[in-house]
Amino acid sequence: MSLDDLILLTGRTINQGVALEGGKASRENVRAAGICAFDADDFKKLDCLVGTPVKVITDFGEVVVYSTISEEGPHPGIIFIPMGPWANQLVNPNSQGCGTPIYKGINAKVEVVKNGKVLNALELIGNLKNV
Amino acid sequence: MVEKVRTVTDVCCPFCGTLCDDLEIDIDLKTDQVVEVRNGCQIGTKKFYASNPSEHRFEKPLIKKNGELTEVSWEEAIDKAADILVKAQRPLLYGFSSTECEAQSRGVELAELLNAILDNTASVCHGPSLLAIQDVGASLATLGEIKNRADTVIFWGSNPVHAHPRHLSRYSDFIRGYFRTDGRNDRYIIVVDPRYTHTAQIADKYIKVKPNEDYELIQSIRAVLRGTDLDVKEVAGVPIEDIKELVERLKSANFGVLFFGMGLTQSLAHHRNIETAIRLVTELNDYNKFILIPMRGHYNVAGANQVFAWNTGYAYSIDFSRGYPRYNPGEFSSVQLLMRDEVDASLVVASDPGSNFPAGAVKNLFKHPLIAIEPHKTPTSAFADVVLPAAIAGIECEGTAYRMDKVPLRLRKVKEAPGESLSDKEILERIIEKVKGKLGE
Repeated sequence: MSLDDLILLTGRTINQGVALEGGKASRENVRAAGICAFDADDFKKLDCLVGTPVKVITDFGEVVVYSTISEEGPHPGIIFIPMGPWANQLVNPNSQGCGTPIYKGINAKVEVVKNGKVLNALELIGNLKNV
Repeated sequence: MVEKVRTVTDVCCPFCGTLCDDLEIDIDLKTDQVVEVRNGCQIGTKKFYASNPSEHRFEKPLIKKNGELTEVSWEEAIDKAADILVKAQRPLLYGFSSTECEAQSRGVELAELLNAILDNTASVCHGPSLLAIQDVGASLATLGEIKNRADTVIFWGSNPVHAHPRHLSRYSDFIRGYFRTDGRNDRYIIVVDPRYTHTAQIADKYIKVKPNEDYELIQSIRAVLRGTDLDVKEVAGVPIEDIKELVERLKSANFGVLFFGMGLTQSLAHHRNIETAIRLVTELNDYNKFILIPMRGHYNVAGANQVFAWNTGYAYSIDFSRGYPRYNPGEFSSVQLLMRDEVDASLVVASDPGSNFPAGAVKNLFKHPLIAIEPHKTPTSAFADVVLPAAIAGIECEGTAYRMDKVPLRLRKVKEAPGESLSDKEILERIIEKVKGKLGE
């Protein structure tokens, strides 16, 4: 029910692009960007249904997102979260001196959290206010 | 029959760096709302529809009072914004990539007045590309040239099917050009990516590189190109035979182009990836014509770099704190400043750092007063202290934008902005006037 030694990639998807233009506070945005896409074989190891919430953990943070199977696989060992508030809870802010954070290629692990709640963008980012 | 809609043609799409300039927009004459978008991709089309009044759209200036955003007059909102900026020791002006060039130049003026930090979204996307180009130069071309001539096209760490949906059909893949009369059949498409992306799925050759090992792969391609016999079986997960085959393919091209995206700039080695890619392209010019183009994300981020550079000498991450522009992205980029909690007030223009910065930087952004010039409710504007509702450039006001190949195009106004929204340029001009008054200038 968990996977270690994964590598997290983030990036644009067309659904995420459409959703952010359509309203960042919308549920559509959660369905588009609050997801984690797994390689099909990796997903079998999680032993859960597509759409089950998973907690993704890196050295820089953790976030609960919906699980899904990647249409852009196979990519064993790699998970993909579309760019946006959910992915950015996990990325490495260190820029190695060039100013641009490391948004791709971050070590990650994943746990299934069947009763986990996937927050919408405003709830998620709102948690960063006054902490 | 009475006409119910008016049609605006040859509209530039203000979404991605492809800056498609052939959109047709139908506007309802009665309601002045977008009712039909033709020729646009899914995302661009949605952007036009999202300009219509909705629960997500701001129509009046807002100030946070007792924890709630409250409607106020423009005068009060501008005064509050100017007050925040003038009182700040180290204000940050960030964004600018999704607005037009004149607003960007007002941003430079304001930053200089305030001795502020001035940054655009390149600092979290193609900043490393700019650093590399400053180091070693670059062979560039316009997209028109690529459409007419390119027979070998590489997409490295870039997935245009998702990020630049019409790029392939307008410039780089399916389109018929003057020397590429058979369109897709006249081109050889190579995709290098850790994932078998939708772009890779329609390519002629897919090369699966291990995450964060692009630098090693490019360097080995360069080595093989120079005739070095590499004493390994694979590099970055790519068999050496594949690298040799790729090199032969690149050498035999007539006109090649390397499009690269965030896969190179946001992974380990950052600008060194781009630097070595540029060197590879330079070396390929011994055999043929080869160029490279960064796949810019925001429709006018290239313009922001141009405008900042011709005003200050630098394209992004500029510090005016000593009264003159200084440039050192590793020190002055927005995320680095926020991570060190150096910024004590921020003005965000047409951007959403709340969504797009790492969580630690957002936390510190929210600690201090925040002003958002923004048309929509976003994770940044929803938590701002002052919200100044903007007309969307390219839909509700005119302006100039630079395509990813640095060709400037004129944005059109297709309809009026809802409510009391003003253009980014006008809002910034009003803030500048107010700031000057407060500074006694």
